[in-house]
Amino acid sequence: MSDLAGLFEVPWSDYRPDLLDALRRTLSYTVVSFVGAVLLGLGMALLRLSRAWPLRAVAAVYTELFKNIPLLAIIFLAYFGLASAGIRLDVFTAGCLSLVVFYAAYLSEIFRSAISGVHSGQTEAGQALGLGRAGIFGHIVLPQAVRQALPGTNTMLVDLLKSTSLLVTVSAAELMSEGRLITSATFRALEVYLVISAIYFALCYPLSQLLLLLERKVRAGVPLSPWRRRRLRAARALLAQDPPATAVGADVKAGAV
Amino acid sequence: MTGSVTAAQTKPLAPPAAVVRIGGLSKSFDGRLVLDDVHLTIERGRIVSVIGQSGGGKTTLMRCVNLLERPDRGTVEVAGELVHQDGRTVCRDLARLRRTVGMVFQRFNLFPHLTAVENVVLAQRKAGIPESEALERAVALLRRVGVAHRALALPDQLSGGEQQRVAIARALALKPELLLFDEPTSSLDPEATREVLSVMRELAADGMTMLLVTHELPFAHEVSDHVVFVDGGRIVEEGRPEDVLGAPSEARTREFLASYGSAS
Repeated sequence: MSDLAGLFEVPWSDYRPDLLDALRRTLSYTVVSFVGAVLLGLGMALLRLSRAWPLRAVAAVYTELFKNIPLLAIIFLAYFGLASAGIRLDVFTAGCLSLVVFYAAYLSEIFRSAISGVHSGQTEAGQALGLGRAGIFGHIVLPQAVRQALPGTNTMLVDLLKSTSLLVTVSAAELMSEGRLITSATFRALEVYLVISAIYFALCYPLSQLLLLLERKVRAGVPLSPWRRRRLRAARALLAQDPPATAVGADVKAGAV
Repeated sequence: MTGSVTAAQTKPLAPPAAVVRIGGLSKSFDGRLVLDDVHLTIERGRIVSVIGQSGGGKTTLMRCVNLLERPDRGTVEVAGELVHQDGRTVCRDLARLRRTVGMVFQRFNLFPHLTAVENVVLAQRKAGIPESEALERAVALLRRVGVAHRALALPDQLSGGEQQRVAIARALALKPELLLFDEPTSSLDPEATREVLSVMRELAADGMTMLLVTHELPFAHEVSDHVVFVDGGRIVEEGRPEDVLGAPSEARTREFLASYGSAS
């Protein structure tokens, strides 16, 4: 017991405001970078599926390039490299930019395989119903692709959150940087980094469980949008009404063959 | 054998207007000719069945009607409008053309992320039909094909026969002037086949114009006004079902029917 008490000697209550600030910054990096990476990744995936080969080539080069460079190298390039070339980005911009270009490369691969995995018969059925390209993509292909891409995308989100810790190298004032600050003030590396790790775990574990739950609901076809719920409610109400007398379908099974 | 021929005159009360008029249609895939100078006219209210071996061009011919395939040569007219001529789509509004023509696929192709009723609603909403009207029509159509009790189920929770009946309801939702059936029972077991054929029989009795690609020769014999035997990309023989299926004049047709074991 005394050993355990001896392990925790850092005056944590003094650091609480700083830690909360760092936590907020970690979450900002995560949210901004993830939204950016999803948008850029989707754009790259669409370019990869384009009919024009130069567009496909641009997207392929992009994806291969950023998939095969370490994230840390991208961070140094964005913060120190660009600065030495006269493009001075503040640390938040440089950090988000690095995370966006790195994760967009992975997400574009996930999105591309999800979109091309939607059976061509689905597009044909949409065409046969007179839907235009945008309608087919938005109402038929994309929802099915999202279902397919969700597990990989969710993994990437949790991975991105953890990777914000690499921004300690450019002193981004997020959780890991704060941990380093506290360590240098208290010289209690084991205690400090255990606490920092526990905070990351407390963020990532519930997040991944939540995303798993979302995956299951989407897979089970649970209507998540309010307008879809409203439509299904209206359909249920209509179905509860008595069918008109002219319904011919009821005796289909008994129909003569 | 490839002259323009109209459907058999067994329903004299139907107006004579042609819903589909195909003339001199040719199509190749990678240099292989799959349709060669095909002529076909379908009059309103008629049921035309296309039979023949797999790979003979039946399905391609059907897919040229709603331009899922673009022919290389010849003309396609739908509901009195020239839509395709010599490799060029001349129809200004492809979406409108496709709403005039409903299609039922061999593999159903229902949208798996949407419930049965949503499958029937989607295209109606995109065509500008108000939500409440689209829903009412969807429910009515599902009742008509006998799957209203499964309206809130997802496609993979439905049996094959139920899925295909939902697909028929979906194809009917935009009140098409013509229905295309591409081997609608080829993926189904005998029980489900009976269910689907029963629905199609009802549609036929209601006077729906239909183009049917099928291997169900007895059914083709029963419901069709006109049967077309396609082989090697050409119309080998066509005419009344009792002639083409019962007493074919071409050796190739007899050979094909013999391979089926029965000419109904």
